[in-house]
Amino acid sequence: MHLAARLFGTLAAVFLAAMMLLTVADVVLRAFFNYPIQGMLELIELGLACTIFLALPAVFLRDEHLVVDVIDHLTRPSVVRILDLAGALTSLGVLVVMAWQMVPLARAMHEFGDVTSDLSIPRIWYWVPVLLGVVASALATLVFIVRWRRRG
Amino acid sequence: MSNLAIGLLGVVVLLVVMLLRVPIGVSLALIGTCGYAAIDGWRKALTVIGSVPFELASAYSLSVVPLFILMGAVASRAGMSRELFDAANAVFSGFRGALTNATIGACAAFGAICGSSIATAATFSKVAIPEMRRHGYEEGLAAGCVASAGTLGILIPPSVILAIYSLVAEQSLSKLFAAALIPGLLLAALYIVTIVIIARLKPAWTPKVPAMPLAQRLRAGTGMWKLVLLFFLAVVGIYLGWFSPTEAAAVAAFAAIVIGFATRALSWSALADAFLDTVFSTAMLFFIIVGAFIFSRFIVLTRLPNELAAWIDAVGLSPLMIVAAVILLYFLLGTFLEEVSTILITVPVVLPLMTSIGYDGIWFGIFVTVMATIGLISPPVGLTVFVIQSQNPDIPAAKIYRGTLPFLAADFVLVALLVAFPALALWLPAALKM
Repeated sequence: MHLAARLFGTLAAVFLAAMMLLTVADVVLRAFFNYPIQGMLELIELGLACTIFLALPAVFLRDEHLVVDVIDHLTRPSVVRILDLAGALTSLGVLVVMAWQMVPLARAMHEFGDVTSDLSIPRIWYWVPVLLGVVASALATLVFIVRWRRRG
Repeated sequence: MSNLAIGLLGVVVLLVVMLLRVPIGVSLALIGTCGYAAIDGWRKALTVIGSVPFELASAYSLSVVPLFILMGAVASRAGMSRELFDAANAVFSGFRGALTNATIGACAAFGAICGSSIATAATFSKVAIPEMRRHGYEEGLAAGCVASAGTLGILIPPSVILAIYSLVAEQSLSKLFAAALIPGLLLAALYIVTIVIIARLKPAWTPKVPAMPLAQRLRAGTGMWKLVLLFFLAVVGIYLGWFSPTEAAAVAAFAAIVIGFATRALSWSALADAFLDTVFSTAMLFFIIVGAFIFSRFIVLTRLPNELAAWIDAVGLSPLMIVAAVILLYFLLGTFLEEVSTILITVPVVLPLMTSIGYDGIWFGIFVTVMATIGLISPPVGLTVFVIQSQNPDIPAAKIYRGTLPFLAADFVLVALLVAFPALALWLPAALKM
């Protein structure tokens, strides 16, 4: 497996494990000690954002996307290869636009200084993994495109 | 161009772009944004593409998805599928077609701890197909049986597809799980009836395997305890009011890991693989969900669902004809589109239509999930068939598809029963007073 993909995957897995353990701890503490963990909802949401968006670049890097592959049976492999490149370029375009549109929204939230209600986590923290993940996914798609040329 | 025309054009362009191998999530985001821009201008459309990923990233209700996937990934790596197959085999031992019936039983049971059909089919393809071939079962039947029984994974709760449906359709996940149980068990029973009929018609396809001695049967039967415990935590715990669905998923995933290590069936490297698989498939699904949400914002803007409902009203189609048309739609989409995407794309359009003719959102969730089980085995894109073929390259795909045909008939019997008796899905949630 690509080293970068493994690294992103492992980081995402750490957050997933943290979500799981925290939830189990909350259930146990609540049931036996009547002492639930404060702000669970906010922590889980942050964990989820980190899990998903850290793993996303790896999905682009490993080219693991679901595609409709009916055309593979109808045409030559060389055509499929060119369609793959076109698909990657389209993905790159969508990701770049997505990231570009996220920046002003994130900045507005930062300037507004919004915090969550229970733990007063600055809302901008929820934006960090999302923005990072989309930018890294765009870079990963770029890597895929560069490698496509080299493979050809 | 009217908004409606833009909407219809958007759907057509979406299908074309997807058929040209653009990743499904990317296609949805692209066409959704462009369509939105065509109606309401680029400024608003670009705000949608920038804000949807963030809104979804921190949606608490989505957190059940990775946790249920994790439980299934751990359970299959900890060899639980093998134990279930042995246990089911012990139950059916001595009957004609025992191994095929054991496959159905074990897949149904595994479906109760695993929310994914691909995972269920992949696991049992390794366990059950070699065993059936060793005993001289016809290989098309053996593979078709695993492909079909694997689809039980998304119907029997917990189910990843239902979790995603609950998000797009804004329906209660606990109600959906309760509603899916009876149709899931009924489908397993219909599959077993199918096998009994096949065994009558073609005795040579399902040779008789000598019965196991009672002691061995009892010993194999005790292998079920892990499953019972996990199902209790993952599903029953929700209805006892112990856990929310996310908590149930976390506790059950954790319990699967503990059981795996305690019985020495799980290694650290297998656990790491299970985690990596889980995060990758979650991120992949999530990107499709993001695309689908962007696309559905566009569809809502076109008022396509309302126009469709008004048109049907004007033409005077009877509810039964509408249901027939919806069944046909899902069958056609299922032949080439992956199931989660099918549900994400269609629910915003079809659900309002179905509720307008008196069907309930919970019932519809079960209905589309059953249609998804059909899509999973129907050619040319039957995902569970692909999984089995990749693990058994010597069995031609055409033979596997042929093997699934009798089970496809059973699927349609279930669809007919669901339409005729909606109570099959709605009785249990009502009885649990939810």
